[in-house]
Amino acid sequence: MPVYVDISRCIGCRSCEVACKRVHGGRGHVNVHFAGDNASVPVFCHHCEEANCTKACFTQALHKVGERTAFDVEKCTGCGLCRLACPFGVVWTDKIAHKCDLCEGRETPACVLTCPANALSLDFELASRRARTRAALAVAHGGRR
Amino acid sequence: MPQVLVPTVCPYCGAGCGFFIAVEKERATGIEYMPEHPASEGSLCSKGNAALEILYHPDRIRTPLKRHGDGWAKITWEEALDLVAKGLGGPLKKYGPNSIGFFASSKCTNEENYLIEKLARVLGSKNVDGCARLCHAPSVVGLNRTLGAAGMTNPIRDLANSKCIFVIGSNLAENHPILSRWIHRAKDSGAVVIVADPRMTHTAWMADVFLQLKPGTDVALLNGMIHVIIKEGLIDREYIAKWTRGYEDLEQAVIDYTPEKVAGITGILAGDIIRAARSYAISPASVILYSMGITQHSTGTDNVQAIANLALICGHLGREGTGVMPLRGQNNVQGACDMGALADFYPGYRKADDPETIEYFKAAWGVDSVPLGRGLTATEMIDKAGVGAIKAMYIVGEDPANSDPCSQNVRAALDNLEFLVVQDIFITATAQLADVILPAAAWAEKEGTYTSTERRVQWSAKAIEPPGSARSDLDIICDIARRLGAQFNYPDAASVLAEINRVVPQYGGITRERLDDFGLIWPCPNPEHPGTPILHTQGFKFSEGRATIVPVSYKPAAEDSSWDYPFILTTGRVAVHHNAGSMTRRSPSLLEREPDLFVEINTFDALRLKVADGDEVTVTTPRGETVAYARITDRLKKGVAFMPFHFPGTNILTSEVRDPEAMIPEFKVSACKITRRD
Repeated sequence: MPVYVDISRCIGCRSCEVACKRVHGGRGHVNVHFAGDNASVPVFCHHCEEANCTKACFTQALHKVGERTAFDVEKCTGCGLCRLACPFGVVWTDKIAHKCDLCEGRETPACVLTCPANALSLDFELASRRARTRAALAVAHGGRR
Repeated sequence: MPQVLVPTVCPYCGAGCGFFIAVEKERATGIEYMPEHPASEGSLCSKGNAALEILYHPDRIRTPLKRHGDGWAKITWEEALDLVAKGLGGPLKKYGPNSIGFFASSKCTNEENYLIEKLARVLGSKNVDGCARLCHAPSVVGLNRTLGAAGMTNPIRDLANSKCIFVIGSNLAENHPILSRWIHRAKDSGAVVIVADPRMTHTAWMADVFLQLKPGTDVALLNGMIHVIIKEGLIDREYIAKWTRGYEDLEQAVIDYTPEKVAGITGILAGDIIRAARSYAISPASVILYSMGITQHSTGTDNVQAIANLALICGHLGREGTGVMPLRGQNNVQGACDMGALADFYPGYRKADDPETIEYFKAAWGVDSVPLGRGLTATEMIDKAGVGAIKAMYIVGEDPANSDPCSQNVRAALDNLEFLVVQDIFITATAQLADVILPAAAWAEKEGTYTSTERRVQWSAKAIEPPGSARSDLDIICDIARRLGAQFNYPDAASVLAEINRVVPQYGGITRERLDDFGLIWPCPNPEHPGTPILHTQGFKFSEGRATIVPVSYKPAAEDSSWDYPFILTTGRVAVHHNAGSMTRRSPSLLEREPDLFVEINTFDALRLKVADGDEVTVTTPRGETVAYARITDRLKKGVAFMPFHFPGTNILTSEVRDPEAMIPEFKVSACKITRRD
């Protein structure tokens, strides 16, 4: 159940960054990246199916629980291998590792709730469903509108 | 002790998003979202997420202060209030009531604004105004004249029903981010989005048609669109015949604004103007959103009237998905205007120069006299302070020394006052110039109502106690009023709201008991009324219910680029800061994301100036100069530069030229030059 991004909706307002930092005691796990002048996308843990970080982690502090890449703080040695292993640069080591935990203990992650543009969701299909609906409507109406 | 969730309204922009403050052991410990909220659906922008950071900031003023040499001495409330009573009362007796000026605050509640307005008027002063003067004064003038009501005509969530969304002079993706969710929803059901802005903003990223116009040429663009719509017969003849007057004059007035000519003035391709005009006119429901890019011009009122004309000839008013939507910048700037914190109005937009208004308020307030006629606006008060005609000022929650144009003149003017009292939560640049500073409660430390940009009046509850001996603005105003001899006996915000219910007809039915579930949208004349989300459904409040079409012609901005000042500087906001920045620049998680003043320069210009990204440059206008970091970008056209106004440096540069009617300064167009600092 990772968080999915509808890139066409991101407005680069960085609300997710601030919200993530707020609920994680001052250490955020989301970074909004800007491409060119306007395109933007929040980058955070993908909770990969075959997660490199879990393979690098020799204590199994990072491990898979269903779809989630979970983190056991008790087992972390702070070695930093996970940071090197992550192909997306979304695991950090700051004494111990930290990354998106999908807001454990909350029903919905803070970034999803806070996103003003509805760009973040827990629904993998949402972005493509929106695109299909837009296209279908355009065809039905002989053009947009 | 268990955690309590206290509902509140965000203290930043005018969107009026709600959230809960989690309170533990009388401390605000966290934010919880409010997914049921009708405007925001629980979402919050970066500023909202960081709102609690300012509450416990070490810079908060905790005791009243008086000037003591170069610094400040802590004093008791008794002493402070006596000093204020003497400082304001002295000039009041010696020079008359119009020698004192009042700034109400768009950050304060409706109740507090109402009391400041009432205090000024009861003391006999005409001079009460607020920062609405610097944002939507032209909307108040222009929309009252054309449509008969100043405010968003439709609620925020109604944007989702629109089929064509025309955004002009608003960067809502950064300034009112939650609106973008409704725009995206409209796009999903096939809406076309048109954005007109001199800068390719994040809002422009959402656009299907982007019109990159030269700053200050909005009237030309709007008249050009009207020209195309009339020429192609896309006007709504039935609507024009039934609900408007003055159409024939408009037809004559726009006859010369051919797309080719407008293309020459604005720098937009003629084809794009035609495309935008057609999209707007033929859609079954089109809405116009606008903001400071329209109002902060020497032609601000004309710009607003041109927008109203466009909506009227296409009949895009009074239905779902249509409307004219001025987006307000502060959490309660709409409410402050409603409460009469404008020099030309009494509460409820009753004209100050109408003798009937005076009789009404004499009776309502039980006083012998209140002053007739328009007072000095915020900008004029500063002028008069500079020449010594205003002797004392009471400024509540405003920072003109940062937010007014040519701010060095403002500082000199405020320095010239015999007495200045500033009531705020931080020692702002304006408070630095004060004789007495009164510590006020921030939004979460008091209760009251706020009116959002969609005219939604919401109750915000008190979550925590103010720091030190700080007190709510309402209590402070009442104490000062009593010391100046006015009978202000209001124990709490609800008692003031009860008086507002009696005195302001639009708020007649907005009683405390009815405000628990996300408030009510005014006009709401009686306690049974459900509120009025959509205005003008049954015509307008003029004779025969007809709106007035007021033709306007294009006038160039007061300044243009020249040999000495080859760039046009325009100003605006960024997502992580708010207005003069006294709150957001003290909020660590916001400041770290945008720590310094920058100036955006086009790539070609940067090459010519030999400036690289991140270089320090000096930006100079005839008013002064400021240092900023260069940000090289293709967002702007050649010859245009952009600076955010959240940092003190920017308004040293901006132009003091004003709109002759609304008295708003032309923040958006100043000629400047840029040089690299070596």
